[in-house]
Order: sequence, then C-alpha cells, then structure tokens
Amino acid sequence: MFQALIGKAQQFIDIPNPLASSNADRPSKAQLFRHQFRLPDSQSPLFEITAEVTLPKSKKQSPSTPKSGQPKSWDKSNWDQDREKGTHYLGQLHLSEQFLCFSTVNTSFVSTASTSASTAFNGRTNGTGPSGNGFTLPLCAVRRVERLHTQSYMFALSITTWNGSDAGTDAKPGAPAPPKLTIQLEGSRQQCERFCDGLKRGLRQGIKEVEKMRTVGRDCYSEYFLYDEFDMKPSPTLPNGTSRTPPDTGLGSIFKYPGNPRKLRDRSKMRLWHEYLKENGRNATLVRQPDFHRLIRVGLPNLLRGEIWELASGAYFLRLQKPNLYKETLAKYEGQESLAIDEIEKDLNRSLPEYAGYQSEEGIGRLRRVLTAYSWENPEVGYCQAMNIVVAALLIYLSEPQAFYILSVLCDRLLPGYYSTTMYGTLLDQKVFESLVEKTMPILWEHLSSNDVQLSVVSLPWFLSLYINSMPLIFAFRVLDVFFLEGPRVLFQIGLAILRINGEELLEAADDGAFISVLKTYFAHLGDSAHPKSENPKHRAITNFQALMVTAFKEFEGITQSAILEQRSKHKAAILENIESFAKRTSIRNLGPESKKLSTNDLGFLYDRFFTVLYEREQRAKLLQEESDRKKKAAKQKASDIVHGASGNAPEIGRVALGPSPSQMDYDAFREFLAGVARWAVTDSPSSPTKDDSAHKSQNGYFHTLKAKPLNTSPWGSGPEPADHDFMQRLFKKWDLEGGSALTLQNVVSGLAPIKGNRDIMSSIAYFFELYDDDADGKVDREGILRMSEALLFLSRRGVNDGLSSSPSMTSMNDGELGPEGKRRENKDEQFLSAVSAFIRRCFEYADPDHPSRQAEDGVTSAMDKPTVQDTPANLLDLEDAPQTPTDAAANSPLSRPSPNAFGQSTPKPQAVAANAALDPSSPVHITLPTFRMLVLADETLESFFDSGFANSFHLADAPLPSSTVTSPSFLTHSGKLATPGGPAIPALSPGGASAGVVPPGKGLRGMLDNIVTDGMRVAVEVRRRMDEAQKEIDRGGTTRGTEEDDDEDGDDHGRDLLEGAEADAGAASLKTEPSLLDEPVGGEAGGSAAAVPSTPGGTSDVEKTTMFER
Amino acid sequence: MADSTTASAPKPSSSVKLVLLGEAAVGKSSLVLRFVNNDFQPNKEPTIGAAFLTQKCQLPNRIIKFEIWDTAGQERFASLAPMYYRNAQAALVVYDITKPSSLVKAKHWVAELQRQASPGIVIALVGNKLDLCEDDGPEQDQQDGEGVDEQQEDEVARKVSTEEAKAYAEEESLLFFETSAKTGHNVGEVFTAIANGIPEASLKGPKGAGAGTQSAISAAQDSTRVNLNAGNGNAGPKEGCAC
Repeated sequence: MFQALIGKAQQFIDIPNPLASSNADRPSKAQLFRHQFRLPDSQSPLFEITAEVTLPKSKKQSPSTPKSGQPKSWDKSNWDQDREKGTHYLGQLHLSEQFLCFSTVNTSFVSTASTSASTAFNGRTNGTGPSGNGFTLPLCAVRRVERLHTQSYMFALSITTWNGSDAGTDAKPGAPAPPKLTIQLEGSRQQCERFCDGLKRGLRQGIKEVEKMRTVGRDCYSEYFLYDEFDMKPSPTLPNGTSRTPPDTGLGSIFKYPGNPRKLRDRSKMRLWHEYLKENGRNATLVRQPDFHRLIRVGLPNLLRGEIWELASGAYFLRLQKPNLYKETLAKYEGQESLAIDEIEKDLNRSLPEYAGYQSEEGIGRLRRVLTAYSWENPEVGYCQAMNIVVAALLIYLSEPQAFYILSVLCDRLLPGYYSTTMYGTLLDQKVFESLVEKTMPILWEHLSSNDVQLSVVSLPWFLSLYINSMPLIFAFRVLDVFFLEGPRVLFQIGLAILRINGEELLEAADDGAFISVLKTYFAHLGDSAHPKSENPKHRAITNFQALMVTAFKEFEGITQSAILEQRSKHKAAILENIESFAKRTSIRNLGPESKKLSTNDLGFLYDRFFTVLYEREQRAKLLQEESDRKKKAAKQKASDIVHGASGNAPEIGRVALGPSPSQMDYDAFREFLAGVARWAVTDSPSSPTKDDSAHKSQNGYFHTLKAKPLNTSPWGSGPEPADHDFMQRLFKKWDLEGGSALTLQNVVSGLAPIKGNRDIMSSIAYFFELYDDDADGKVDREGILRMSEALLFLSRRGVNDGLSSSPSMTSMNDGELGPEGKRRENKDEQFLSAVSAFIRRCFEYADPDHPSRQAEDGVTSAMDKPTVQDTPANLLDLEDAPQTPTDAAANSPLSRPSPNAFGQSTPKPQAVAANAALDPSSPVHITLPTFRMLVLADETLESFFDSGFANSFHLADAPLPSSTVTSPSFLTHSGKLATPGGPAIPALSPGGASAGVVPPGKGLRGMLDNIVTDGMRVAVEVRRRMDEAQKEIDRGGTTRGTEEDDDEDGDDHGRDLLEGAEADAGAASLKTEPSLLDEPVGGEAGGSAAAVPSTPGGTSDVEKTTMFER
Repeated sequence: MADSTTASAPKPSSSVKLVLLGEAAVGKSSLVLRFVNNDFQPNKEPTIGAAFLTQKCQLPNRIIKFEIWDTAGQERFASLAPMYYRNAQAALVVYDITKPSSLVKAKHWVAELQRQASPGIVIALVGNKLDLCEDDGPEQDQQDGEGVDEQQEDEVARKVSTEEAKAYAEEESLLFFETSAKTGHNVGEVFTAIANGIPEASLKGPKGAGAGTQSAISAAQDSTRVNLNAGNGNAGPKEGCAC
C-alpha cells in the first residue's frame, strides 16, 4: 500500500518535461500530418482551413448515432435548405499535394500555425492515425467541385467524388456513388480563395492519377461487394459480358479464415459494412463517421478485413502512388540471391505452420514473394524473424501486393526500428512499456523488480509479432484491426491491460517461469467467459477477450500517442548507447588475431574514431544534400507554403544502433580518420575558412523550425582539414588488403597493429620500406627514395615524438618550454631535417646502380638542375650563417662510414658527387631493405624515429590528440565497459609537440629543397622568433593563452581541459628550473602545446608557414 | 512451481538458469524440445526474442530444475541476448557440425559469455545435427527444426571435425558434446553434465532444502562424465511452457 503511494507520488513528480527531451526526437509537423492521415512521405501540409463538412443525411440513420461529431449549432439556417438534413462535422480541412483531408480532431500542421514546435500538440489523437471523423481523399477521387452560390459571405464547395467508374443506377447495375460532400470554409475570403487555388492546382495534377485509382480499386473487395445489393447473389458478369471475379482476399478465401464465421457473426458484420460503405463511400472515397470506428472495434469481417486494414494504415495510399511497385520489385530482382533470402528460406516452413495455407506451396509461395520483395525494397531492414509471422498472418486476409505495402507501413511508421538490424525500436518500446507499467501499476512493478523478473523478456514477443504468436489468431486479428486504425499505442494498451487483468496472480508469481505460465494460461483462455459464474447471461457472454479490450481502451485510454513519443524520446539515448556498447564490444572482440597486438583501450579508441568519422561524414553529406534539396524546393515554391519537416529524424541516420551504417572508409574518410589520430595528417593550408564557432553553438539549441541544423559547409565538418600526401595514399593502399579502395575497421586495426603493436625497430623499418616498394621486389628506386624522404619530412613537420618524450615521465616533458629546453626542441626538429637530408644523400651514395656501367657519370651538371641541398639543412643549425649554395661538387670526400653523431651537429662538406651522380635520371639506382636499414640505423635521429617516433605519431587511447580533432560524439565515447575505469591516462600536455612545422607539407621534396636553400635564413629567424614567442607566452601566464586556445580549439571542452592541465604544469615547471630537467631531451610536449598553440588566433601561423616557404 | 512428481524421496532441489545461444537454425529450440518434451518437430516456428521452458534433471542426491531460456538465433537478435543471459548459471552454445560458420559464431558467443555473463557460468559447447553425419542410413530430412537445406544430402555432411571443436572446448574449459536433437543422441547427457558442473555453492533453489552437502559436491564432481540418469531428461516430468 505504501509502495502504491510512493508510486503515485512518483507519478506526479515524474511528469516528463517536454523541454528536456531533445527536439530532434520530436516529429515535425509534416510528419505528424502524414501520420495523422496516414499519407505517403511525399505529402506535406500545404494549406489548412477550418471547415464544416456536411454529409447527406443517411437514408437509414441508425438511432444510435449520436449527434456527435462535434456538432455546432449552426444558426444561419437560411443558408441552404438541404444542409439541415445532413450530418455536420466541424474540423480542419487540409490540403497536401495529392490529398484533401478532413478531420474533426483539432490539430494544426502548417508552419504558420500558432505554435512553432510540435511539442504543443498534446491532443490525445495527435498523429495517431485517422481517428476522428473525416476523410482522406486522394485528389484523383474528386470528380467535380462546385462553388455553391449562397449568401455572399459564405464560401462553400460541393465535392463530388468517385471511385473511377460511373455509379450504378436503377437501370444499370453498379456500386453506388459515394456521398456528395458539402464543405463550408470558414476563414477570410482571402484564405478561402488561396485554399481553393491550391485545390484547383492539385486537382489538375490529380487527373493523371485516375487510372492508378482504377487499378488499385480492382483489388478492393468493396468494389466487388457493393456492385450488388447485400442480399442478392453477386452478379456473375458485368453488363458488357465480362465475368466478374471477386478480388483476392488472401489465403483465407482458399484455405478458410481462422475462427468460426458464425461465432464471429461474420455475416451480420458484412451487412453492417455494406450499409456503411454504401452511404459513406469506399476505399478512396471513404468518409469516416462514428460507426466506422465502432465497426472496427467489434472486429472486421473476413472479406473486408484486408481492405480496411489497408485503408486505416495508409498502405492503400502507398499502393495508389505506385500500384506496380510490388510486381516490378519482384521482376527486377528475380533470380538474385541475398543473405535476407537465405534467412527467409529458413523460416518459410515455420510461419504459422498450423494454418492450412502454410502447409501448401501456394501459401509458402506468397509468403516467400512478399518477404523477398520487401527485403529488396528495403535492404536496410532486409528480413527479421517475426516478420515471417506477421506477414503470414496478413496474407490470410490480404493479397500479396496489399501485404507488401502494409509491411512497408509497419516497418517505416507503425513499428519504427522494430525489425532493423539492431532492433533498437523493439528495445526502446520495451523500455517504454516498462516505464508505463511502472507508472500505471506501481505495485506490480515493485513486485517484478523485487523478484528480479524482467518484464521485457515476457512482453517483447507481444510487440515484435503484434500478439500474433501469443494469442489465439482470431483475437490477435482483432487487436490488429484496432492497431492499424489507431497506431502503436494499441499495443501498449493491450499489454497494460493484460497485466492489469492478471495483476493478482502475477503478484504471486515469484520468478520468470511462474510469471510466464500465468500469462500463458490466460492467453489460452481468452475465448472463455470473463464472468462464468455471473447470474446475468449477458455478463456470462462477455469473453475474456472482450474484457481485455474494454480494459485496454477504457482504463488505458490515457496512453496516447504523444505519451508514447514522450517516453520514447526519454529513453532513446540510453537504449542506443546500450546497443552501441554491445556492438562495440562484439566488434572489437572479433577483429582478428592482429588486433591482439593492440590494447583493448586502443581498440576501443580506434573503433570510436573509425565510426565517428563515418558517422560524421554521413551526417554532413546528408545535411548538404538536404540543404540543396531545400534550396531547390524553395526555388520552386513560395517559402511560406513549405513546411520543412524532413529534418525530424535526420540527425540520426547512420548511428550504429539505428541499423546498418556504413562500415567502410574510402580514402577521404581515411584522411579524416588519420587527422584525428596523427598530427602530421592535418593539413597546413586549410582550403576552407575556419568555421564560425560561436554561430555553431548558438544555433544548436534552437527549435528546428525552419533551419534544423547549422549547416557546416566545410566538407570536413568541425574537425581539422586532413592533409593529402603520397604517404597517406600509400598507407591506405597497404591497409586495404581486399583492394576494394575501402577500409574496414579490421583493416585499420591490422594495418596499425604492426606499427603500434610491435615496437620493434627492425619491423618498423621494414614496414616503412615496404610502403615504398611498389612492386614488392625488395628494391626502392630513385623516385621511391625521394618519396620516402618526402614522407619522412611530412611526418616530422610538426615535430617528432621520440621515445623519450612520449615516455610517461610527465615532469620531464613539461619543461620543454624553458628557454634552453625550447632550444633543444627546436634543435631537435632541425636535427630531423638534417637527418633526412643526410639520409637522402646517403641513400644515393649507397644506392645500388641498376646499371653499374653508368655510375661514372659525372654529376656536376645535373647537380645544377637539381640543386643538391643535402648539406643545407645542416647549415640551418648555424643560425647566423647564410645558406651556402651547394656548388662544391668537387669536394669528393664522402664519409667512409657515417657515424651516428656525425650529422646532427657537424656540417659536413658537400660530398655530393656520388649523390649527384645518383640524382642523374639517366642512371637508375635503387636501395634494398638492408641498405635502407643500415642508413636508418646509421643516424641517431632516424633510428629513434623508427624506434618509437613513428609509432608514437599515431595517437590512440593512451595519448589521444587533445584538440578538437577528436570530436567523438558522446554516444561513442562513453559507451561500453571497455573504457578503463578512470579513463585513459591523460597526458598533461599535447603530445607531438608542435609548432615546429619548419617544413611545409606537400610541396614535393625537390621544390622544398630549393626552398630550403633560399629560405634557410628565414627559417632560422623564424625558429628563433617562435622560441622567443613561446618563452614570452609562458611568462605571460595562462590567461591570455586560454583565450587564444579558445579560438584555436574550436570550443572543444575536452581538449581545453587537457591544455589547461598542460599550462598549469608548464607554468609550475617554469618556476623550478632544475638543471637536471634541462638535460631532459625535449621533443617537448609542453613546449609543443605552448609553442604550437600561440600560433595566434586563427591561422596566422599557417600563413606564416606558408609564406615562409613560398617562392 | 510444482514439486518433483517423480517417486524419488525428497531431495534438495534447486533451480538453474540456463541460456541457449548460437547461430540461427543450428537446432537450439530442437535441443530444448527434445530435452523437455522428448519430441522433435521438423518445422518449428522461429524463436521470437526467447522462449522459456523448464525441465528437471535428477541427480543422485539432488534435483536440478532447469529454467531454460531459448534465444533467437538471427544475427540481429544478438543485441537482445544480454537480457537473457543475465544471471544465467549455465549456457549451451550450439553450433551445427555441418556448418563451419556456426562454430565461428559459437566462439563469439563463448567470448561474449566469458566476459559479460556472470562469473563462473558453466558453458557447454554443443555440436548439433550429428544424425546428418552418421552412417546410420539415409536420412532424408534434416533433424533440425530450424530450417531445411536439401543440398546437404549428397555431400559429406560433416564440416566441423570433432577434434577441432574439442580442442577449442578444452582450451576454453568448456564442456563439449556432439548431439542430435532428431535422434536424441547425447541430449540428456549435455544437461546432466551441466547439472553436475554447476558448483553447489551457486545453487539457490526456491524449494532448495539447504544448499546441499559437501558429499554432494564431490559426487557431482566425480560424475561429470558418467551418465547418471540416462534418458532422465527425456523421461522426466513434462512441465515445459513455451511462451
């Protein structure tokens, strides 16, 4: 009891805050409009106007029909003599491109309506489906519209509809004409005229659709049914002599419909429907009056069940749009195979196997075709078990095409995400169901949780197969009748009612088993009397199922579509996160043996990075696409006429949990991926302007009325623009084992594993060599050598992280900013530059000639063509000296054996004769792996680069790049148990230390060498200036830096935290300049972040860098 | 829940939550059906979400009541699995010995269970459809309820060797059996072995008269491979309830 009170209390506290849930999850008005009238996605609300619809008085008005339908006492009774006789409904009249819809349910969908966001619609039938009275009229079904001449201030239309053929008359047999609709528009003259203009336009378009309507109508049993009077035998032929055959009404017409027709009172239901359809139109022209809803609640008769399902669900309108889609799809893919088809085949024999139709080839064949056609039509869903059961049930009442379209409506609208590859919709609705149980039946909920019974384990199959394999078929079909009309809420209402009715027994069940058996027994007795002991025979006649329906729709009337939407958006994030962490876990575990070389953290990091890049790219592509669509559309129509609703679900596409998402990276995505992992992969010369950060932030929180999302025109989104370099192309090729120009996560992991995993200098040298050994013959030619060198410079242009600097001893790194240390660091970069130049020289020195005879060729002339700059970089060390021109070709004294230290500091005399000779294009040379290895090992800097620097330049989980490059959305980062408790050790500073971009990227080695000669001096000056600047930065302290980084870091909090940490550390370190620290080799992490970032707000440093090396 | 209906003297009974995992159409539901009802259906409806059944297993000095969660095998249902293996004390990971890919999937499940399920979960690796590979006459039908694949008739049906699977099972310390749900071969044994493999300490029974004795533990341990109650599963009381 106390629990109940608590539950009640919580219920009040727990009022969902509509503002708390993100707007992105809310359906747009256009969506609501489509859902309300079950229109195809191509429709949008163009005009709406308040109107009164008058239907001709029923010839045999049943007394039970109340004067409901929101009767408005219309006092201008002199308006029309006829109107008194009719039934009046006041409501909203809507016009879309191809439909004229009317509903007494008071909703408004156009963008100009008073409320800007759909949150405001909390009406209980909001978006539910065609509830209320009214009609959804395809414009092709309008035969004539007349303006009624009434008193001047009235604007009334008389609409004659038809179903594509002339009505029968006394003289001529045929289905009766649908009722004439009289519509009185209520609005200003201008509004009315605008509406009518729109209607005229639509009607002209609608003429083209008439033939389709006839085609579709032929499959409607109502057309056949109404041709004759109910009590007459169906006429065997048409007047022109062709024989009439009833349309396909499903397998039931061959194999009998489930249940006893007499018990189901099928014939009297048919009689009632005959009357209703005769007076209110049929299929396209049907008008919904209260009896329509009532007739559905009592259960549809067998022969009309399919058609009414089709109409109520809106599948009819889809079929009307593309009447031949089903046949075409089957024809198009005939003979093709797919995974879905294999899965379908496995299940064909076990879909409602007890029904006679599925023990025959006829039934199996229909089932196969519908499931297959749908799997082709919607490959993202393909085939999900449970669809076989649902479709098998549908096919008992529906023809194949009808079932096909209904399946479409089910998957796309009524059961969103239920059958997707991750089944997120199913899981989400289970969560919603649980929370509804908690709210409505707190005692039961408390009992379940205290006994550790997981409700969804029981209820999941109810929802997934629409109760079809939980209840006896005849009852499940009655649930479906209402479900197609009123939408998903019915599933919840029934589920809640089941629990409510069995509440007492369930409270005694203490485990899953007992719980399930209570419900199983209940389902088995649905047909029994609910009150077997009652004296009153009327009460005795009430079955358990009827009682269930009453409980569901009376007691749980408050479970509305909007309540469900509310709950869905509340739980969505958590559900998606769960699925994603599961997917991540599974996928990381199955990455193959290579992945064992990397830590779980790193794998998790790679997974996140990989899918973030793919996700973001897809988002951007979609946004750009949408924007261009929007512009196109806007160009066509007046902006005020358009509701931009498409963005409602847009931000979700591509999320892992939502179903199939891209799982392969093309080269561009790969570049973007690398840019978030390695500093060198970020370009130095962004081609697109840096994004306006503040604008981005401020727009994020707005309602998505017109512009849903800030549009980022940069193809790289908020991340840095990646570089494009030969090295990256080679890496991509090497990792692309299948040669499909696309990398899977597994490719990326096995590509990275040898680099990051081995930590063995020999294999890392070999790895690098193989990248350049194009024909895998163990030789790299001159071009290759140059490219290798370019790559080395490319990789090092933001500084090299050698083994020491990336070691976990943070304190040593923090001191990088100190004067002498800074110098050391800069020296380091220069050292690398000179190492590379020495490397080139030696490469050619030790290269094996392809044709030894030509070796003697003198290199002087060629040296002039291609200035041999090899020694110049070394000169850079001498900051005061002007660069020397390397003309001293005569100095022919190559070092006999390069000693490791020889190149760092000394400026060896140009001994380039051999090299020059090697540069001569007419004497091809190559180096082999052993030579390459020797050359690398001969140089301390390169050795250290291959020992650790190269591997460390890929920043994975243990040392992520702190900048905005790693913009993994929250859903990827905090998913999963893989994230180590406490997270990865966050380095106190940005690794890779970096201002040092002394070398411009991408200009090609030769050009660069030229530049180095002329710009050496400037480089030296620049280097010095940077150092001074960095020093000043530190002296200035954190505040100014902070603001600068704000600009630079693109508002990425995470990154900023890291940098602030670095700052603090660097600041602290500057206080205690202990000599021992000074001795630490720099490569300087702290120095890096401090010196790199001061690149003054924006891209000035880039500008400097580029101009620096421009000719 | 009903007490044991067998004639045996009151023995401590305890319930064990067991979950079946494995690729679609390897015969999970058929194994359960054989164990619970000693029955076989060629065309069994695919499991939606999961089915729940119970069956008792008689050991010399106690009764184990299995609460069996039979899960759906289709790949996309995988994300629902954690819901079902939550708190499971035992798992049957099933593959189809005529389908190598199903062993790969089984290995994935084993890894998933080892990392995510309750610690100490007893896992049995079961290669099903043995009847397709034995020379006991031409078998036209597949023994398995989850699908019919007619191509296999004239091929050498076995694609996964006993040795390979066994080696893997030993490496991962799993119980290992090859079964046929169609003929019933080894089916009871699987469940008995699992019952014996459950550590006494982790047993908690609704009707559990005490947690069992030390001797029971040793008896259970000694008899892992001994077929204590041959056919017990088949002959046992029927109280399965599929939902």
